[in-house]
Formats: sequence, C-alpha cells, structure tokens
Amino acid sequence: MQVPEDYFSLFSLERRFEIDKKALTANFRALQNENHPDRVAADDEQAKLLAVQKSSLLNDAYATLKSPLARAGYLLKLRGVDVESVSQGDLDMGVLLEQMELREQVAEAPAGEAGLAILSPIKRDIENRIAAREQRFVANLEADDLVSAKRVFHELQFLHKLFQEIEVSEEKRLGY
Amino acid sequence: MALLQIQEPGGKPARPKHRLAVGIDLGTTNSLVAARCGLKVETLPDEGGEHLLPSIVHYGSDGLISVGKKAKTFALTDPKNTLVSVKRMLGKGLSELRQLGHYLPYEFDAARDDTAPAVLTRAGSKDPVSVSSDILSALKARAENALKGELEGAVITVPAYFNDAQRQQTKEAAELAGINVLRLLNEPTAAAVAYGLDSADQGNIVVFDLGGGTFDVSLLSLTRGVFEVLSTGGDTNLGGDDFDRLLATWLIAQSGDAAVSEGEALQLANDLKHQLSDVEEVKFTMGDYRGSLSREQFAEIAKEPLSRAMMICRRSLRDARLELDEIDNVVLVGGSTRMPLVRAAVAEFFGREPLTSIDPDKVVAVGAGIQADVLIGNKSDSDFLLLDVTPLSLGIETMGELVEKIIPRNTTIPVSRAQEFTTFKDGQTAMALHVLQGEREAVADCRSLARFTLRGIPSMVAGAAKIRVTFQVDADGLLSVSAEETLTGVKSEIQVKPSYGLEAETIESMLQASQENARADMELRSLQEAKVDAMQLIDAVAAAVIADPQLLEEGEEQRINQGVAALAAALENGSSAEVSDLTAALNRISGDFAARRMDAHISRALQGESI
Repeated sequence: MQVPEDYFSLFSLERRFEIDKKALTANFRALQNENHPDRVAADDEQAKLLAVQKSSLLNDAYATLKSPLARAGYLLKLRGVDVESVSQGDLDMGVLLEQMELREQVAEAPAGEAGLAILSPIKRDIENRIAAREQRFVANLEADDLVSAKRVFHELQFLHKLFQEIEVSEEKRLGY
Repeated sequence: MALLQIQEPGGKPARPKHRLAVGIDLGTTNSLVAARCGLKVETLPDEGGEHLLPSIVHYGSDGLISVGKKAKTFALTDPKNTLVSVKRMLGKGLSELRQLGHYLPYEFDAARDDTAPAVLTRAGSKDPVSVSSDILSALKARAENALKGELEGAVITVPAYFNDAQRQQTKEAAELAGINVLRLLNEPTAAAVAYGLDSADQGNIVVFDLGGGTFDVSLLSLTRGVFEVLSTGGDTNLGGDDFDRLLATWLIAQSGDAAVSEGEALQLANDLKHQLSDVEEVKFTMGDYRGSLSREQFAEIAKEPLSRAMMICRRSLRDARLELDEIDNVVLVGGSTRMPLVRAAVAEFFGREPLTSIDPDKVVAVGAGIQADVLIGNKSDSDFLLLDVTPLSLGIETMGELVEKIIPRNTTIPVSRAQEFTTFKDGQTAMALHVLQGEREAVADCRSLARFTLRGIPSMVAGAAKIRVTFQVDADGLLSVSAEETLTGVKSEIQVKPSYGLEAETIESMLQASQENARADMELRSLQEAKVDAMQLIDAVAAAVIADPQLLEEGEEQRINQGVAALAAALENGSSAEVSDLTAALNRISGDFAARRMDAHISRALQGESI
C-alpha cells in the first residue's frame, strides 16, 4: 500500500463523519491480518519492530475512526482546527446551562438500584442530544463553518463525558 | 502525514516448510506442552504417558534437578529444596510475598535485594525466573523427544491479568531455558483459539475460566479468523477452594459435634465435590455421623461464589457492550468447571450449553500450540489472527502526584501513544518520568513500573519546552517508554523492566477501589490541580517582582506579598475552592503589574532589544 494521506484513506473510506462501520472493521481486519507482528514472529528483530509500528498505527487509526467523538475531532484536526485548546469563546452560555440542568437531574437520582430507573431515561435523553449535535456537526462541516463545528465538537465532548459518568454511577449501583 | 508503508492484503512471500514450534501452558500447579501432530494439535505426554507436569522443581543432594511428579515426592521430606507454585512469585518482591501469606517454607537469600527475592537451595540461590526456566527446560526436552527435532520457537501462556513485570519474567525464564519466545499469549485467548478453529467461524465467545483459586472471564469476537478480545475481567479470590470451604462448613454443621478437624472436613469436602461430578448423590461418614449429599444440596451450599462469578460475567458483558443474546459460544477452562453445578449455572446464565469437548485442563496449551504453529509459519497467513488488549491502564506521574493515563485498559495491542508535557519551572533542564500501571488517579494507589530522567533540556521559561512521552506496548503486552524534547530532539528511553510487579489480588482490589473512589479521586484531582496552578502563579509573581521592581507602584509590592502569603497558607491545608479563590485574588492583585511588564517588554522588543 502507498503511504496513505490520512486514516480515512488508510481504510479506503471517504473523509466524512458518517462512515460505513462494517467496511471500516472489515478493512481494518484485512490490513491487520497482513501487517500484525504475528505475521513476522519468526523473523528478525528489524521486521518485528516494523510490524509493531505498522500494527500500532492501524490500531490507533481504527480506534480514532470507530469512536464518533474521536472521529469528529480528527476531522477537525485534518482541517487544521486545534481541538486541544478550548477558550471561553468556544462555548456558549446555553451549553453550560444545559450541562448544569442535566447534572442536577443526575444528582437527584436516589442512591442504590432505585436510582437506575431515573438514570436510564437521562441516558436516552443524552443519546438523543448527541445524535442531534452530530447532525449539526455534519452540516457545519459541509458548510465549511469550522468555528461552529468546533463549538459543537466541544459540546459533544461534554455530553460524552457526562454519559460516561452516568455509566460509572450505574455500575456502582449494580455493585460492579 | 508520514504514515508507514502498510502491506496490502494478499501480497506476502511464501515461507519454507514445517518447523517445530510448541505451545506451553506454564501453570501454577501443573504445566503442559502441546504441538501439532499430524492434523491435530495435542498435548504431549511424557514417557510414562502423563500429560500434566506438576510445576514443582527439586534440587537434589546428588546435584540432580528433578521436575514434576518426582520432585513432588520431596515436597514433604525436603521442602527447603523443593519449590512449588513459583508462578505466584514471579514479578514480586519478598516483603510483598510475605504479606500475601503464601506457603513459603524456604530460606530466602539475604544477600538479595527485597525486590529480587531468591530461595537458598543446596544448588545455590534460585530466583523464580530460574526455577520457572527449569520447568520450561523439562517441557522443551519432552517436546524435542516426542517431535524428534529441535524446537524453533514457543508460545507461552500467561494469565490475562499478568502485569508487565510478570510478563517480563516469564519471557526471561523461557529465554534462560533456551526457548525462542514467539509470543506471550493470554490464557483465555488461547482457550478461545483451541475451540474457535474447529467450531463456528463467526460470533462472540465467552471464556469462563474457573481454577482452584482464581476466576477469569474474557469476551472475544471472532470474525473470519480474527479474534478480537473485547473485555477481560475476573476475581483472583474466587475458585474451587471456595466451594470446598463452604461445603466443609456445611459438613461440620450437619454432623453436629462429631469430632473432626477442619482439615479433615476440607479433605472430605474436596472428595465429595469430585464424586458429585460423576454421580447425583453421595453418601459419607464423618466421625460417627452418616449423611448424604445431593447435587441439588451442593448447588444451594455453593450459591454465593457462583452468583459472584455470574455478576462478573454480567460486568464483562457490559464492558464489551454486548447483550446476552449476542453470545454465540461459551468455552470452559479450569478444573473447577468440571462441576456439573458450575456447568449448569453457566448454561442457565448464557442460555446455551457450554463447549466441553476439549479437556479444561488442556485447552489453554492446545490453543497456544495452534498459535505457535501459525507464528512459526507452518500455516498460511490468512488463517487467523489474534487482537488482544491491555489488562490495566498505563500512565505517567504528573504534578500533584496524579497519574495521567496514556493507554487505558482494554486498548488493543500493539499500541503506541504519545502525550506532550512541559516544564514546570523556569530554566528547568531535566525532567523525571515515573511510569505507573493501574486504574486509580493518585500515584500512591498505582503500581510503580519504572522511573527515568530526561536530561539536557535547553533552559527555557516554564511551559516553553515540549516533552513528548511515548508509550509502546508490543504484541506480548510488554511496555517500553521514550521521552523526547521536540524542539531540540534530546531523547531518553527505557525498556520497562521492573524488579517486581503487582499481585493479581492487588489488581482486582485496585479495580474495585478505582470505581468506589472515583469521586474521592475527582476531588483530590481538583485540589491538586488548583495547587499546581497556585504554585506556578506564586513562582511567576516572585520572579516578576525580582526581575522588574522598577515597574511596581507604591504599596503594590506589599499588596502582592499579602496575596502570596494568603495563598501559600491555603496551600498548606485549604480546600480546592479556597486555593482557587485565592489564586484568582492574587491574579487580580498582580494583574496590573503583569500588564505593565508586558507593555514594557513589547516596547523594548519593538525597539529591537532582546527581552
């Protein structure tokens, strides 16, 4: 394979947010099958080292494209947007209020398994919000509005983080 | 982007014909070796027809080293020279071993460092690596004898929860025995491979591994020959021994005041447990008491450990983001899965009969044998591929004794991840790096793997240097770390070879504690971060006052000093909110002075002077 330009072309995918997940996984596995260190386990150190590098790159690329949030960040990075730094201008007041509201709802869930019934619809709600934000992200990217796209990306980061925190709290209630 | 050349699917040179490679299950109690014999991969017996080699080494007075059954006969008569269960000692320090309360009838070599214990035998000082290597040598000899040729390589299995130190030492032991290690393979993954190739070529597989003292469960997906580990979990304090203990307690209660010792009751419990694997009901006598035990009764007695195992299965499903109805196959590993009640519970939970066609004691070795055959190049490349994961998160110490995770657990290996750090003080020319393994946020709660220092960083203001730290975990699960100052290219790297690692029980309790303590950790983190900010501000303000005293207005220095003093006091015992508030206050107090300095520097720069 020629030196690929980016992770999308590595897996023969179009450079866009909505991707064919089945094709991503199938292409990843086919490439990993050929480039994995297991294929050169009986060869010399040089070959092994190279295989580790190739295989690591494939794993990283796959993990980046598999996760919708990481994929969104990567798309922005490819467009030259610095997603690591967040300034206050990147966020609007409404988002902070939304976060506070959602977090209050989570905090109101009673301790123990009783709280699960409260948390479950909040999770569904957050999933819906994420889906709506993803659509906006796609639209912003298509319209070349990178400032709005970056803003939506940070909003997605907040929602994903909250979702993860709820999952941890659920696991605690389930005694995991 | 400078990506590497990636091999296109389907373009691979041919390899020469059959080469000898074996799979080795290096177990705590027993070890096995397996290899391809004709069409099938099978475990290899010794000359007496025994497949299991007890993992015991005896150093005899005649200079003879015996391994296995023969060594076992010396366990009672010559315990100091008979080493058992050394797998438990791999990667551990002596004080750690003593703390764990394992059976250690040995005399330890006082000349050795605490982190590298060795047992004094009549054949000299023996560390766990050299004892393990004696076991591996015996298996190598058995294989070369059976296969009539020289071994070219071996796949050696390790528990999925083995940490970096334990993996390193396993590999060292093999190298010491003159074995070329093709790969370290996780035991549950090996078990899945043993079944995966003969049965369905697609689907999600659960590997349920219940041994004498530990329980492991792994979830894998198999698609057209690619095994992908989705999650791995377990309890290092759950095994067949728990069933014995509960049954013994029940027996003592049943027999009333029948005079039997706890040891006798345990022995009887173990016997009855084994008998119930073949019959529905057993009769027994205990002192004067005569009784009977049915499978049903035993199931009731063993309810607690069983439901704990099922809880762990539920959690692993959740980690893997799978529903029960998405499970296609369940594989049983470990002697304790011979109990019908365990099989029934597994079948009920997963809604399907578990696969039992391969002996649960041999299945791991067989899987390793299959993998060895592929790795040495005997099978065509596209047959199958294993994509395994890291069992524990890896990270680096940052300011405030916190751990920044660089590779989270359950990440597919091999993996390479980099993160940038910067200097904390003006003129800092060296940076100490501390590599840690574990799930918690505080350094004290994680396992220290290695420390090294990057020197020769050019002197710059705080925050200007960019140090890129790269973690690389190879396909054996072994870690190496490198650090580079990206402006100048100054480099330092280390192969993480710690002298001892984490006890599996510690890992388990660390995982549990990490969830319980997530909240406490977050509070700690915000306090530590506030403290770091505060200290940086104090340093910066102090440096500015010394550098540009002429820019201070009347009384300003005094106000600034008061702000610094208040903040310094809060650093001693204030809450994160107090530290943050006083940091903000000091920022306000010193803000005008900072603005004046900035203006002065800019105008000087515009006049062409160096700042």
